[in-house]
Amino acid sequence: MDVSFLIAILVWGLYAGCIYILLAIGLNLIFGVMKVVNFAHGELLMLGAYTTFWLYILSGFNPYLVLPLAMLLMAMLGLFIERLGFRPIMGTGKLNEIFLSLGLIYLFQNLAAFLWSTSSRSIRSPYSERIVPLGSIKLPMDYLIIIIITTLFLVALQLFLKKTTVGRAMRATSQNREAAALMGINVERMDMLSFALGSVLATAAGSLWVISGQMADPYMGSIPAIKAFAVIIIGGLGSIPGAILAGLTLGIAENMVPSLMKFLAGIIGFNMSFTAWKDTIAFFILIIILVIRPTGIFGEKGE
Amino acid sequence: MKYAILVTVLVVSLVLAGCVQQPEEPAGEIKIGIVASLTGGASTTGLDMWQSAVLAADEINAKGGVKVGDEHMKVKLIQGDDETSREGGVKAVTKLITEDKVDLLIGGFSSGITYADSVVAAEHKVPFIITGASSPVITHRTDIDTSYFFHHCPTTDDYGESTTLFVDEIVKPAIYARFNFSEDRPLRMAVLYQDSAYGVGVYEGIKKTIEKYNLNMEIVAVEKFKMSETDFRSVLTTIKASKPDVLYPAAFLNEQTLIVAQGRRDVGLNTIYLSVECNDDPDYYTGVERWGEYSIQESRFGPYAIPSGPIRSAVEKFKHDFEAKWGAPPSMMGASTYEGVYIAAKAIENAGTLDKEQIRASLAELEMPQMVEAMKEGKITFSPDYRESKFELYMQQLLWDDAVGETRPKIVWPESVKETDFVLPSWYEPGSS
Repeated sequence: MDVSFLIAILVWGLYAGCIYILLAIGLNLIFGVMKVVNFAHGELLMLGAYTTFWLYILSGFNPYLVLPLAMLLMAMLGLFIERLGFRPIMGTGKLNEIFLSLGLIYLFQNLAAFLWSTSSRSIRSPYSERIVPLGSIKLPMDYLIIIIITTLFLVALQLFLKKTTVGRAMRATSQNREAAALMGINVERMDMLSFALGSVLATAAGSLWVISGQMADPYMGSIPAIKAFAVIIIGGLGSIPGAILAGLTLGIAENMVPSLMKFLAGIIGFNMSFTAWKDTIAFFILIIILVIRPTGIFGEKGE
Repeated sequence: MKYAILVTVLVVSLVLAGCVQQPEEPAGEIKIGIVASLTGGASTTGLDMWQSAVLAADEINAKGGVKVGDEHMKVKLIQGDDETSREGGVKAVTKLITEDKVDLLIGGFSSGITYADSVVAAEHKVPFIITGASSPVITHRTDIDTSYFFHHCPTTDDYGESTTLFVDEIVKPAIYARFNFSEDRPLRMAVLYQDSAYGVGVYEGIKKTIEKYNLNMEIVAVEKFKMSETDFRSVLTTIKASKPDVLYPAAFLNEQTLIVAQGRRDVGLNTIYLSVECNDDPDYYTGVERWGEYSIQESRFGPYAIPSGPIRSAVEKFKHDFEAKWGAPPSMMGASTYEGVYIAAKAIENAGTLDKEQIRASLAELEMPQMVEAMKEGKITFSPDYRESKFELYMQQLLWDDAVGETRPKIVWPESVKETDFVLPSWYEPGSS
């Protein structure tokens, strides 16, 4: 293993980590404010990617330019889901919430298959053939754009949550829903806002993923959603810094560990492929973190 | 009084019914069950199979149906949706056989699903023309009676053999001539396969071919990945380190697109990428962009290239008729299912009866001209051992087309159907000397 390979893996891990972070933070916001585990969050990623694809095909514009409109449309869908789906059953038991979100998975997957068929769809980035030399490695321009956009999202989100009245109200709702309501915060509005924001971030994750070369299909959200759940559990439920750290760790570990295992197996004379073990790595890390620190890296007791 | 009126109406009706001409007894019909994934993940392919079957049945019926003994019978197709799942497949085949009482089955897309649902067909001794599943296991298995199964679809063994022979015959000489390699040097092939029956089957097909033809080839890297994987950069870097002359991924469309794009763009693995026929799809050409240029694809029926030779006009007519009827071009699985209906019709006509055992015997002895896919020796017939029809698979190279802003395939092998010569790109980098 040479150093340039390790640097390349770090950069690829960073890119993969950005997608996980965007998805996981949205999931975390919804869970933090509403205490609802939305299993259909991966389907928001998928619908977001298709919305961008659809706007891109209709307009012919640069896909990065149609992304804000896609996020706006998906925010409206998020509001719709919260208002008509989750709000009526809030407080009626966790099982109802779980089955509602599981039902939404099938609903959205079949809706996408109906609207866009099950064929894979792609979005052609205008920068797909541009490469940025970064020392010994060649970084595709799209990866760099994704890393920059994710960073901007995270900074904007932190500023929103820390510096604005609405953001502080969301955090208050997340910390203690009843106390927040007693203090005059409209917690139901915070629920809607968290769902809208979660949908926006999932749209960003799905769209950026497809723009950078991934194919969109109605079932593309399943694996990233599982990874996003792993990220928020590793980072600590409700913790945004935890999701960032865990997302990056997972992205890099997934890229690094199979190569490292193959290298080590080679030293002891075994020629084996560990690529198919990638998803196992996420859950192996999850188990280790849960054993050492059951609340996750940045999680707090009782969350 | 009320009863008297009712009785009168009834009597008058019966008398009138006796006076008017009775409609003819409905002509007998051949009931064919089409097993396809009409819902779920493979529904696009499944719908295409169904639509192709309908086109074939309409054509046959428009010409008066199928002559069965002294009677002309219409073909009636019945849908069997396997829901892209094993359980769905078993349910669909059971319903087709026990409720719809079909005379014969056609279709079956996924090897996994067909492996499960064909058990029902074997139990009820219903002939099954399999036009989608690619695993040879379907007719090679010994745990059930497979004598009613007829495989009209190339197997993973066929994919591996055609592609490996093409590499040996065409790609290897081109590389060796440019880089002045000695003939003694084995060609260095890397294999990256999906960890499934399909991927393992292709890998086994490559190994069998190298051994069977005693080819001077060495498999320098073997890596596998989980189905629907999206990140191949690390594994491609490992493969690059093994210095291959060619890379043969056994992957589905969404995986193959990423393997080629990530390999060329991110990893700088500037080699010849080979590919299995399922990637000969418009979405692949759009998705792979310029990174797919000069890569090689094994195929038998595709959206753009049409093999030269005797079937050219038949392919053009099928594509035209399909598009006119359904508004979109047919796929590879559609082509073999279209042929499947004609195979069934011919076998029943030859048998002269709808007796399933007689139809099975007729299929076993069938010999009919090739239709829209090139066949070995130009005819459709099933091998006596495992009842497999043998396709004339061809290899196509993807070349950039400025007019459409995408690559388009050109057939480069075999000689009998080729459109142009194979090109070794200027950016190509061989393995170690």
